[in-house]
Amino acid sequence: MNSKQVSREGLPRIRPLLLVRTGCLVLLLLALPAMTTHAMSGREVYEKVHQLRSRALDRKTEATMVLFDKRGGTRSRTLTEYSKKADPEAYKVLVVFRSPADLKGVGFLIHARTFAERDLWAYFPEYKRVRRIPSTSQDDSFFGSDFSYDDFGGPPNLDDYKFNILKEEIIDGRPCYKVEVTPKVRRKYSKYIAWVAKDLWVTQKIDYYQDDTIYRAGVFTDVRTIDGIPTPFQLKVENRKTGHRTELTVESIEYHTDFPDELFTQRALERGGK
Amino acid sequence: MQRICLYLCLTCCILLAAKPFTAPCLAGENLSVSGRLDLRGVAALDRDSEEEYPSLTGRLKLDTPPSQWRFHSWLEGGWDGTVELPARDHALLKKFDEVYQSNTPFLEFKELYVGIVANDLELRAGIQRFAWGRLDEYPINDLLNPWDYTRFILRPLEDRKIGVPSLSANLYKGDWSLDAVWVPVLVPYRLPLPDERWFGRSILSEFSRTADAEIVPDEPDLPPRTLENGAVGLRAQHSTGDIEWALNFFHGFDPRPVFKTTALAITPRSGKIRIDPGYVPDFHKITSFGLDAAAIAGDWSLRAEAAYTLDRVFNTRQELWGYPAAPAPGLFPLAPNQHRSDTVAYGAGADYRIAEDVLLTLQAQQTVILNRPETLYDRKFEALLWGNLKVFLMNQKVETNLNIAYNPEHGDGMGKVNLWYTFTDSWKAGVTAVAFTGPAQSLFGRYSDNDQVEVEIRYAW
Repeated sequence: MNSKQVSREGLPRIRPLLLVRTGCLVLLLLALPAMTTHAMSGREVYEKVHQLRSRALDRKTEATMVLFDKRGGTRSRTLTEYSKKADPEAYKVLVVFRSPADLKGVGFLIHARTFAERDLWAYFPEYKRVRRIPSTSQDDSFFGSDFSYDDFGGPPNLDDYKFNILKEEIIDGRPCYKVEVTPKVRRKYSKYIAWVAKDLWVTQKIDYYQDDTIYRAGVFTDVRTIDGIPTPFQLKVENRKTGHRTELTVESIEYHTDFPDELFTQRALERGGK
Repeated sequence: MQRICLYLCLTCCILLAAKPFTAPCLAGENLSVSGRLDLRGVAALDRDSEEEYPSLTGRLKLDTPPSQWRFHSWLEGGWDGTVELPARDHALLKKFDEVYQSNTPFLEFKELYVGIVANDLELRAGIQRFAWGRLDEYPINDLLNPWDYTRFILRPLEDRKIGVPSLSANLYKGDWSLDAVWVPVLVPYRLPLPDERWFGRSILSEFSRTADAEIVPDEPDLPPRTLENGAVGLRAQHSTGDIEWALNFFHGFDPRPVFKTTALAITPRSGKIRIDPGYVPDFHKITSFGLDAAAIAGDWSLRAEAAYTLDRVFNTRQELWGYPAAPAPGLFPLAPNQHRSDTVAYGAGADYRIAEDVLLTLQAQQTVILNRPETLYDRKFEALLWGNLKVFLMNQKVETNLNIAYNPEHGDGMGKVNLWYTFTDSWKAGVTAVAFTGPAQSLFGRYSDNDQVEVEIRYAW
């Protein structure tokens, strides 16, 4: 060893460049497990979610929705949802309430020309009139529940959001991607964090934020595979600000339906579907 | 008063006891049953105004599930408290050929029809109500159903409508929807009885305040009940881009009240004074061509209507009818009080979402009387401004409405505020306060003695 390789204390002198290279290698080795696990980007995860939701667009769902106020009082609704994939990027949805008496026959119709452009109508038997609803109402409470109108729509337009995988976690015994989703245009929420099951591509849990505070949280359980489509049968959403929560139970669901376009018209909305 | 309470309690018991029997017996896979009971009490703010007793009304709806065949029934009935006892010659089941009918007690089929769907065509026959046009409260093109004017200001638009025997056809082709309606006979509008709270102020109000005076209006002679005295309506709807629009045609009797003078008759009878007010409801055919449209613009939901109507009839000012300055027993022929003119009516409404669960509705409409003489009460331009602020609270357990209406030509208006609280899926309660102002012959001013607070309890199944 020559004098240039030995420090004043007699210890070997480590070259700065070698030090940098070694540090990088260590960091790379430490990051490698995370990098190899996040082989997908947040956008790619949501493309998988999107594909599943698109496959599930042709369906009929019978559901019960129970609203709980913070004092334990309950209100119950039953509804039928009809959905149809209309085009590669278009779909139609009709939701009709079957009970209680003051909501019976009330309906909601969506025509999505693309995943980004939607027309909405509501029908109230009491007024015998169909009313157009601005799409800016999409984040509003769905008839007093903690779900929003948007929750009953089809897949969103992925280009309207930014996606970022935060980490992986186990939810309900399933490995999930924890994905931060931020809308590019202002919505009622500033962002939401979703836990997406890696093997099923369904959302297991979701937290909606207003700034840094979770204001609405959802948990989706009892996932069953129906006609090859993983489907949560229990959906629970809670408003953390008010303490109000809503539980939606899927009573029956049928996929690969072939509903005619006539079912998704204003006339069908007035007649309560079929 | 004791008899009223007894009748109400008895009615309540019968209806509540019937519910568990009717619902399971009638309901099933092929028939759904729903109903509602309303118990209402009124506190008049003007102690000199006509009293209104507690009322108990109900409705029973039967429906078959949507399929090729459909049966629908909507029966209403009860005791509405507008008079203490049933009126003279009172019939329980509402008739289609009388103007003055008491609601104490009453039964009425608001709707009763069967329908069949064959591909894109749907046919219905029976008693029906239609909802044409786009505006709230006073839609310009909604002419097929006459109204029951008893408490009409406090009732939702669809509850005011009288179901009419009719045949209807609806053809749905792509974006086009075509409706045709034929009402084979004239069904007249219904007016409150003179001793009811909602008869309103009139030139005879002072007479009626005289002790032992009884105003007894005459039923009109309706036009012959022939097919040529029916009504026809046609409507074509379509969407062009983001605008939904419709063309409307109506030919039939004007559903809006107008009167014909006869002779004032004041007759002493058995210690009382019997007054025939000297006017009767009159009926005239009109032809109306209209259009309506709706569109969305940002946070606004916009609606508009217009119509050109031929041969509408208007009344002159009541002070020109020739009532004697000092009424006394006798017969006093009155002056003719009608004028015929074409009209143009138009209006626009907008719903604006101020915030989640907060909705503002604004509406303005105007009627232009094209050939208007100075003797008419209605001005050449008659406007109606209307606004409603709806606020939901507590996940829609609470609904509040603030409603204001104003007619700038006569300076009459109405303010109404109500609050509904939902206890459970079946029970809700509401309180409504309303106040009126304006001259006696105006739309709202005639009820200026009727400022009141009412409380309502509703049970639905």
